[in-house]
Amino acid sequence: MNKPLKNHWTAIVNGEHKHLEIAQTTRLVDVLRTHLQLTGTKVSCEVGRCGSCMVLMDGEPVNSCLVMAYQCEGSDIVTIEGLHGEEKGTLHPIQQAFVEEGGFQCGYCTPGMVISTKALLDAHPEPSQEQIESGLCGNLCRCTGYGGIIRAVRKAGERCAIKETSAEETVS
Amino acid sequence: MLLNRKQSGKRWHLRPDGAPKVTGQLQYLTDMTLPDMIHGRVLRSEYPYARILSIDTSEAEALEGVYAVLTSKDVPGLNRFGIATPDQPVFCEDIVRYVGDAIAAVAADSPERAALALDAIRVEYEELTPLNSTDAALAPGAPELHEHGPGNVLHRTEIKRGDAKQAFATCDHIVTETYYTPRQMHAYMETEGGLFVPDEEGRLNVYAATQHGYKDRMQLARIIGCPEEDIRVVSSPIGGSFGGKDELNVQPYGALLALRCGCPVKMHNSRKESVRAGLKRHPMKIEMQTGMSREGIIQAHRVRITADTGAYATLGAPVLNFCTEHCLGPYAIPNVDVEGVSVYTNNGLSGEFRGFGGNQAIFAMEGQMDRLAEIMNMDPWEFRRRNMREKNDPGPLNQRILVTDGLSQVWEALDRSELWQKHQHPPTDPTLPPWIKRGVGAAIAMHGAGLGYGIPDPAGGRLSLNNEGKIEVAFSYEEFGQGLVATLEIMLCDLFQCNTSDLSIIIGDTDRVPHSGSSTASRSTTMAWMALQRLQSPFRSHVLAVASEASGIPADELVTGPGGIWRKGQLPAESSEVETDVQGTGKSEKKVALALEGIIQTSEEAEKLEKAERIEAKAKEGERSDFVISYAELATQGEADEWIFDTKFDYPTTPDNVVGGHYLYTYAAVAAEVEVNTLTGETKLLDTRHVVAAGPVINPMGYIGQIEGGSVMALGFTLTEDAVMQDSRYVTTNLDTYMIPTIQDIHTQLEVEAIEDLPEGDAFGPRGIGEIGSVALAPAITAAIHQATGVWVNRLPVPREQLVRPLNVPLQEGVSPS
Repeated sequence: MNKPLKNHWTAIVNGEHKHLEIAQTTRLVDVLRTHLQLTGTKVSCEVGRCGSCMVLMDGEPVNSCLVMAYQCEGSDIVTIEGLHGEEKGTLHPIQQAFVEEGGFQCGYCTPGMVISTKALLDAHPEPSQEQIESGLCGNLCRCTGYGGIIRAVRKAGERCAIKETSAEETVS
Repeated sequence: MLLNRKQSGKRWHLRPDGAPKVTGQLQYLTDMTLPDMIHGRVLRSEYPYARILSIDTSEAEALEGVYAVLTSKDVPGLNRFGIATPDQPVFCEDIVRYVGDAIAAVAADSPERAALALDAIRVEYEELTPLNSTDAALAPGAPELHEHGPGNVLHRTEIKRGDAKQAFATCDHIVTETYYTPRQMHAYMETEGGLFVPDEEGRLNVYAATQHGYKDRMQLARIIGCPEEDIRVVSSPIGGSFGGKDELNVQPYGALLALRCGCPVKMHNSRKESVRAGLKRHPMKIEMQTGMSREGIIQAHRVRITADTGAYATLGAPVLNFCTEHCLGPYAIPNVDVEGVSVYTNNGLSGEFRGFGGNQAIFAMEGQMDRLAEIMNMDPWEFRRRNMREKNDPGPLNQRILVTDGLSQVWEALDRSELWQKHQHPPTDPTLPPWIKRGVGAAIAMHGAGLGYGIPDPAGGRLSLNNEGKIEVAFSYEEFGQGLVATLEIMLCDLFQCNTSDLSIIIGDTDRVPHSGSSTASRSTTMAWMALQRLQSPFRSHVLAVASEASGIPADELVTGPGGIWRKGQLPAESSEVETDVQGTGKSEKKVALALEGIIQTSEEAEKLEKAERIEAKAKEGERSDFVISYAELATQGEADEWIFDTKFDYPTTPDNVVGGHYLYTYAAVAAEVEVNTLTGETKLLDTRHVVAAGPVINPMGYIGQIEGGSVMALGFTLTEDAVMQDSRYVTTNLDTYMIPTIQDIHTQLEVEAIEDLPEGDAFGPRGIGEIGSVALAPAITAAIHQATGVWVNRLPVPREQLVRPLNVPLQEGVSPS
């Protein structure tokens, strides 16, 4: 068997520059889980339907099972491990809200769900029900029935909004 | 009580596994890796039904990087598995019976190389015509899929009471209908897999999901041909199961490959492989004939159930038993004639699934009730009340059951609800276009818990003070998302008025837990509660006696509390950690994670946190004179085994000899409001109310989550989900064609009302609610569809084409379609 071609791949993953020797046809989800041991990104349907492998690529949510290494060369990738509160080691307000509202059960969809919520709230800090639904309809959850997730997203939105308002007040 | 966060107050307990889950830190068993591991894959059948003529593995074996290629010849022990009936081959020898059947397994140094090796295995088949329906399988002359016949019948059931034939002859009205239910897929987000690690002592460590680690261990020992003690099964945390991971799946292959290669083997099914090989809910055809008197009292009920159990038994027989028991509903019917048959086919593999045959039965029975009520021109809820069993009536199988008010309570609570009241005046909205129709429907159910009479259903547990000074409980239950660990924390904090940081909860590891049965059949909460009731008193007596000896204070003046033993009446204001752990950084999650995962590494941060906690606790102790002694100091007194208390008992069953008959039931009533678009046939669920009578709510967050989750799973069962097969092959092979509800498809509103009453002195405590949220929504929705459109739906998922109506808009003069 011929050895696959090795290629030089670089990207910023969770704020750190990463350099790997990998085939450029490697899927991003495998780069993350296998090569970088970032197993918070989950693998489930592998056809881009369930959202378990959702990560932010240059700020946009993408299913990392559908992105090849060559497609994200030089990109800024944020995985669930890259999300935290004001200090590292604390929970991001979105994560906090998921814990408080029971926005997860088995937890397997949760990293992807939190990442999609981050993208949603970045785009719509105070999302309407319709915006929540369209922002998260690419993430499947089989345990919660989405009730806890919707409550968590609303709470996270409120918190982010309050934070932004107070930041503006401080500036003014 | 309307159950929500606000009503729950201090009982809103944050899950100890919350922070690790939302940060992605929690390692599932499929996330585990070891540096020297290799990768396993399974070769599955090319055909749903075929004879194997030859298997040639030589080319695969010769491939570089391939460590092992195994077939049936390489199974040292029993080449079969199955919880109840071990009839599924680990590797097929001569016949394949479904598309998931395994023929060989390989281990190689990369997943890609393992895939290449599978391609290099040459199998010659003689293709046979698959039995692609129960009719084909039952037809005279059909080939027998198993030797233990007769025919292709796995199991038959029967309930006969009175004289149904004669009673029908005297009935004034008879409703005859046939109901069909789909092949629903569990669609757990984490597919099957894990890590299989042989250790230096010759033991095998299995890190793979199951709902019953001890049962896996027993089956694996039988396959490998080794003592059970040579295997350790670590089985939590699990990324969803819903019954789907109760049977062995990848475990036999991972175990055999690891033992052959002498190194760790990782397995992880792709979604497509999971669909192909995994269990599904039994598709059923239920024919029902129900007759009533002029006054609307049901006199006779005739039922014929045909279940497609697929290629192997798994739990097909108990599922049929459960369906048979539940197809009478909670109604008193004098003349009953029920027969059920579970049929082997080549259509995949049907087995255990949340609701366990109740979902199908309740859909059919409640459908009959609505049709009968319409004939009587009577309110369907009132019609149900007239026919409901009385409090002291026997259960569906004429067996004695525990007397509770649950049934009438859920009936009344739903009757009062605003949503059901809408049924009297069907909702209309003049702003809606004429093709949008709305309706309201409701259904009621009693649902058995536990495995039922005649099936071994052992329970138990262990309570101890471990050498770190933690109050430790150990059960063989599993955390697959339902929130069991949080529920245990709440129970223990309630019992001992301690903090969560005083606890160590061990589950999901056969080396560390006693055999206390499985996490199935809505049984874990009840069994854990009953075990703790038995254990708390001896444990407490011992703890207080030792504390008394150490302090010189009489034992009856001492109580357990946060951090240790306190003088009675001096406890700091109620154990507050239940509420104060709002940071979600979970003080105890690390300990749970450790217990669950065994070899998974701890985070340094969590250890630091714990150290800080200890220092803080010490400081508090020093300040308070009413604090007597810490658990940690107590644990150093005497021998370690003096601190361990065990109990064993069985799940409560009816005293009457009726196989599969239940003793404890939970009750549910559900109302649903739907909106049907008669141009597209689309049904949208607008509003839902679940009333559940299952005893005290221990863990409100978990309770709401289980009912909401069960409800949405039932919504999928009702409207969209069907694992379609063509010639016994799956057409819907992934989540892009098998449609589970998304966040856009769910109820706009969903309310949960919990009725917490139990009879005074009830010895069984809180009942499990894992299934009850999923069993009665389907008939409520189809009743609502009927009110909206006039269509009686008898088939799930609801066929949209049945709801499409031509637009009855008269053409305007001068405007011609030509």
